[in-house]
Amino acid sequence: MGTLPSARALMGASLGFHIIYAAIGVGMPLMLCVAEGLALLTGREVYRDLARRWSKVVAVLLAIGAVSGTVLSFELGLLWPTFMRFAGGIIGMPFSLEGFAFFIEAIFVALYLYGWNVLSPRAHWLTSIPVVLGSAASAVCVISANAWMNTPAGFRVVDGQPVDVHVWKAFFNPAMPIEALHGTLACYVATAMAAAGIYAWALLRGDAARRQYNRAGLTLALGVAAVALPLQLVAGDISARFVANYEPAKLAAMEGLFTTTRGAPEVIGGWPDPASGKVIGGIAIPKLLSFLAYDDVNATVRGLNSFPAGTTPDPRMVHPVFDIMVGSGFLMLAALILFGVIAWRKRRVGGATASRFALLATLVAAPFGFIALESGWLTTEFGRQPWVVHGFLKTSEAVTPRGGIDVIFLLLMLVYLALTTGLLWLLLAPWQGPRWLPRAWREVGHAAHG
Amino acid sequence: MLLTAENAAAGIVLVSLCAYTIFGGADFGGGVWTLLATGPRAHAQREALFRAMGPVWETNHIWLIVAVVALFTVFPTAFAALFVALLIPLTLALFGIVLRGAAFAFRHYGEKSAARLPATTEVFAVASIVTPLALGACVGAVAAGGIRVADDGTVLSGYDAWHDPFAVLCAFIALAICALLTAAYMTVRTEGELREDFRLRAIIAALVLGALTTVALLLGHARGSFFARRLDSPMPILLVAGAVCCGIATLAILWLRRYRLAPPAAAATACAVLLAWGAAQYPYLLPPDLTIVRAAAPHETVVAFVAAMLIGAVVLIPSLWLLYSVLARARADLPGPDIPAA
Repeated sequence: MGTLPSARALMGASLGFHIIYAAIGVGMPLMLCVAEGLALLTGREVYRDLARRWSKVVAVLLAIGAVSGTVLSFELGLLWPTFMRFAGGIIGMPFSLEGFAFFIEAIFVALYLYGWNVLSPRAHWLTSIPVVLGSAASAVCVISANAWMNTPAGFRVVDGQPVDVHVWKAFFNPAMPIEALHGTLACYVATAMAAAGIYAWALLRGDAARRQYNRAGLTLALGVAAVALPLQLVAGDISARFVANYEPAKLAAMEGLFTTTRGAPEVIGGWPDPASGKVIGGIAIPKLLSFLAYDDVNATVRGLNSFPAGTTPDPRMVHPVFDIMVGSGFLMLAALILFGVIAWRKRRVGGATASRFALLATLVAAPFGFIALESGWLTTEFGRQPWVVHGFLKTSEAVTPRGGIDVIFLLLMLVYLALTTGLLWLLLAPWQGPRWLPRAWREVGHAAHG
Repeated sequence: MLLTAENAAAGIVLVSLCAYTIFGGADFGGGVWTLLATGPRAHAQREALFRAMGPVWETNHIWLIVAVVALFTVFPTAFAALFVALLIPLTLALFGIVLRGAAFAFRHYGEKSAARLPATTEVFAVASIVTPLALGACVGAVAAGGIRVADDGTVLSGYDAWHDPFAVLCAFIALAICALLTAAYMTVRTEGELREDFRLRAIIAALVLGALTTVALLLGHARGSFFARRLDSPMPILLVAGAVCCGIATLAILWLRRYRLAPPAAAATACAVLLAWGAAQYPYLLPPDLTIVRAAAPHETVVAFVAAMLIGAVVLIPSLWLLYSVLARARADLPGPDIPAA
């Protein structure tokens, strides 16, 4: 492989893994804080049990997240030295603040883990709050840097060098508020849905002794999702309007819109075909895109043909992942509504946790939070190509002049494979292993350890 | 003008490297002594090292991220040049960090759920040695003036910027520092014969460190290197003398079994070595082409960064204090960390 594809694949794969660790690292502290808060409020031991088990997940993921975050900070230099030379002085600030937020988070996670028997229950619960805030602040900072790459601000370029740098204008660049909101909510949705799926599965497997515990876990996780997901749909809508106004080429690629159209349709699914300039297959809903983007069914939406050649993303990369993201969001919403309806008909939440149908729906929807998170990230990244800093620096110009990146890529993929295998092995540990895992998994783990 | 925002920022990079050395370096040393555990108490040595590292290793690690981020925020040109010129050793360090951290985490949390992964101890030990060697070689390559940068920021050095006897020496100096730190720290965390084991190891590491640094100074002078010439100015001489004094003091403290003083003395020795390196390089960041001023980002960025660091420290220092005080109480109560068994 050439240097550019290897570098992109390596950075993409590393980020793809890191996003999962980081998202759980943002989502889990919130759930843990809620669980221990409920334990204090209601005195029910089951919530404290949940918090204890989740704190173990947070600890493992913080450690792995710290390591994979180090990988990324090295890769910025190893793979994209020209980008960092250009942008380091402008977007270094969010990364520096992220470092602090992460530091605070790590310190308080350590306090939380080692403080169970040392701190009073209330003080112990309070140590989870800096973890929640710190992890959210980390997410906001990192997303701010990404938003700057989409809508660069806070500098001028003279002779190819950035001058007149305003770090705070760069930090609060136009895309930052909505992208940060959308991205942080995605972490809560993804973690809560995944956790709900695990408890739904456990309930489906039926473990009478742990029924109460699994029900509490399921209800709490779905509760977090029920708050975060509707907010996320609103944030997604605002985000799309923002993209329409600030990143029209990305919008055109997201929607597979080749030619500028008045009263543009929203095409769901299908394969954009650059040769014919059409989306093959897919369902077109007349005028919906114009309405969604500009609140006007007859508004004109710019197509990919209205931009200079070589400055637009490939819609074949962007349109499918965008649709996967949106589809995942609605699929999760459907599962939540179904669960709610069943709970309402049975007159209590406990009723729904006893319904196999509701549990199955939750299980099916569970992975789609992470699928939406990954595909949303791919949408914004593929949608910015060929630029790394939109309008200023192309990805091909940002890459390292050094060779051998393909070798590093291969070796690091092997390491990540080993890490993931190790993590699964640990989580499947049978003896005192995490009982919140379904019995089938524990049996697999037992066999593996046998 | 010594007190500029740029110099302050360079100072922050150096201080975070010092912090990474005295906190994170001790974790690497833990790997060294895990690998070199010998004698009738080899198993006890490994267990003691493993327990001592438990609570804080994640926080220790963040100092490196702070240094890297500070470098690319304030000195983007130098950051880019470093990662282009030192692609190979930095990649090695990266692999070492990833494998070390993961192996330790897996072993640590695996212990709590009684699920031991195979080979985690070995991977942990080897990766703990590779990383300081690679990072030490990077420092050596910088100090030896091996990274050449053109006026437009293009890197002129090849892949071999670190193929230098001085860089190789620095690699082993880094390893010796880590070994000394860990052994010295362990003397206050162990008792009886185990403590004697670590005392002996600390003394050996201190002697090796002294020998290596002496050879490095002589080698630098013999080769007439840029770095050695700069060492002749007053401030570096003072700091080198300070490092020598700290090293001798550490040896004396260990010899006399004044264990309470051993950790601060060893940490001071490590910091003095790093500070002497920094002072000798001043005002260069990547000698002989990039000075601190030339490598710096636009002035507004540097000022904002320094201000953010100062404000951040106000939040961070009380948090760290809280952590260490709670940990001290937790240690008194419990034999090991309380990771709730799931």
